[in-house]
Amino acid sequence: MSTSNFKAEFLGGARAGVPVVLGFIPVGIAFGIMARQAGFEIWQTCGFSVFVYAGASQMMTVGMYAQGASIIAMVLATFLLNFRHLIMSTCVFERIKESSFKQKLIAGFGVTDESFALFTTEQEERCTIAYFIGMNCVMYTSWNVGTFIGAIASDFLPVIITASLGIALYAMFIGLLVPNLTNNFRLGLLVILTAICNTVLSQLMPPSWALIISTLVCAFIGVFTVDLDSKEECADE
Amino acid sequence: MNNTEYLLLVFGMTLVTYLPRMLPSIIIDKMRFGAGTEKFLRLIPFTAIASLIFPGVFFVDGANPFIGIAGALVAGLLAWRRFPVMVCVLAAIAVNFLQYSFL
Repeated sequence: MSTSNFKAEFLGGARAGVPVVLGFIPVGIAFGIMARQAGFEIWQTCGFSVFVYAGASQMMTVGMYAQGASIIAMVLATFLLNFRHLIMSTCVFERIKESSFKQKLIAGFGVTDESFALFTTEQEERCTIAYFIGMNCVMYTSWNVGTFIGAIASDFLPVIITASLGIALYAMFIGLLVPNLTNNFRLGLLVILTAICNTVLSQLMPPSWALIISTLVCAFIGVFTVDLDSKEECADE
Repeated sequence: MNNTEYLLLVFGMTLVTYLPRMLPSIIIDKMRFGAGTEKFLRLIPFTAIASLIFPGVFFVDGANPFIGIAGALVAGLLAWRRFPVMVCVLAAIAVNFLQYSFL
């Protein structure tokens, strides 16, 4: 792979990652504030985002710490919550054809709900490791900038802005998912089934497990009921 | 939290987060998937993203489910008409902003 290719793909990925910024900065700020209130130092607060880079589990950890949880309990809870990324990572790397071992070690760090959603709904021919890494640089930076702002300055955004930005990541997921459904009725039904399944299961078990089960079970059902290739002829015309 | 405890915590969290994210990247080359498994893997993005949206979107504002519903409807409508993702995101934010401003 030539360097200029890598650069162009990297920048393409970075551009694709921009919608995430609107979601990650406010959530990062919220995490920063939460961690400081729970009693973590500024550098400790930022350390979570720099090394762990997993929003929901960072939030959960500082919440657990505030309630006096042990380190083992916090690490175990993090493992359970982030285990879903094993599945997502498999889908991400299934799409990446050529990459070096070093690139994979770097790219693996960036597998999040959001990078998975962006990357696996992208056109197959754009899915290179450089694209994925570019996307993640933008997302990782915004997550850390948000955390830093929250850790030092607390909440400088007006409440109404923060509240309005709460929809950003959901709107992004919707924006990525829906265009795939316009030409494939059965895939649409599968998505609705999954939504119902996960909504029900979330009442019965921890949401992170509900997500794994509904994702796998409904994809399995889809293998026998959905025709993915009928969509490809008409998609992205 | 003292520094030793903190470093232990962050090290543990980093390890248990990074390994599940990274391991598939080095294992996947050594695996061959049948047509059924490949289809299964191609369907996972759709079911996973559906699970990431629902039921979470109803609780964007814990006190008012209509915030999430209105934002989702606007984003969904624009996405159906194939507007860029960024447009869907900004429109959903704008609608929620209006809701908070006037309702």
